[in-house]
Amino acid sequence: MTQFAQWLSQTPVSLAIQTHAWIIPTLQSIHIVAIGVIFSSVFMIALRILGLAGSDQTLLDTFGRFGPPLSAALCITVATGAFQVMGEPARELLSFSFWLKMSLLAAATFTTVVFHSAVRRNEHHWGEVVIGRWTAKSLTILTVLVWAGIIILGRLIAYDSIWGAWSRVPKD
Amino acid sequence: MITAFLAWLETSPPAEAIRTSGYLFAIIESFHVIGLVMVFGTITIVDLRLLGVASTRRPFTRVASDILKWTWLGFALAATTGSLLFITNAAVYSRNFYFRSKMVLLALSAVNMLIFNFTAARSVQRWDKDQAAPVAGRTVAVVSLVLWVTIIFCGRWIGFTTN
Repeated sequence: MTQFAQWLSQTPVSLAIQTHAWIIPTLQSIHIVAIGVIFSSVFMIALRILGLAGSDQTLLDTFGRFGPPLSAALCITVATGAFQVMGEPARELLSFSFWLKMSLLAAATFTTVVFHSAVRRNEHHWGEVVIGRWTAKSLTILTVLVWAGIIILGRLIAYDSIWGAWSRVPKD
Repeated sequence: MITAFLAWLETSPPAEAIRTSGYLFAIIESFHVIGLVMVFGTITIVDLRLLGVASTRRPFTRVASDILKWTWLGFALAATTGSLLFITNAAVYSRNFYFRSKMVLLALSAVNMLIFNFTAARSVQRWDKDQAAPVAGRTVAVVSLVLWVTIIFCGRWIGFTTN
């Protein structure tokens, strides 16, 4: 991974990002704006499942309203994230926070997609019933917490030394 | 007077504790991000409803009453954590251009909210179920979106200009 990060840091795109100081903060700001869309969309779907908001809407309606911005914003974070990795390969790829974040991201995306398709498949049977199930409720709360964890780990990439020996980011 | 106050903030026990800890600043900053994405994300849903872009099949008041309490919760989290970050290096932050801009923009977004309360919100019964709010409401929504995105950019720039 160190060699890959080394190679990546010499590519033209990486060198271009490194030369212009404004690119990284701009990417990070867009990244945060998109995270705002993701987290609030996840949050609104969660509130609907928990019965705390949107009770005049079906679960499928709620997915219809917040699913598309969620997916679009996820694509934006992946793109801005990829450019941040290219701009600072060692800081990201050798960081413990980064890989833990990627694992949680994979888990959260998987859960959301599976749950969404389950709701769509069973629209007529338990589009409403599911809301009363405590497993669905606890899974929902867990999903929101995982997304919060993803946000925290994203910020912790900048402070990877707090992980001690688990961090392989070279100290400068 | 202000200089003395900022110095007092910096030497206060919580400021000392956050500065000397190896991880407190990072954790507080992470929760600041959670608070601000909640504010921005939820206010965007309300603004898009005003503009007639999304959630248009639901009455505005319904959308607002579902969401705005979470916006305030997010704001409380962002303001608390933001203050804790500020006191660790108060003198430097208070002189920083992006910090100052961010505070002015936050004040403007409060003014924008007040304008909404004194204009479009007064007649909400008349347009509650319409596709979009009247022009005053739509203007407030656009101003709100621009302000909050700019606030996020300023916030990120503070971190790059105070080290």
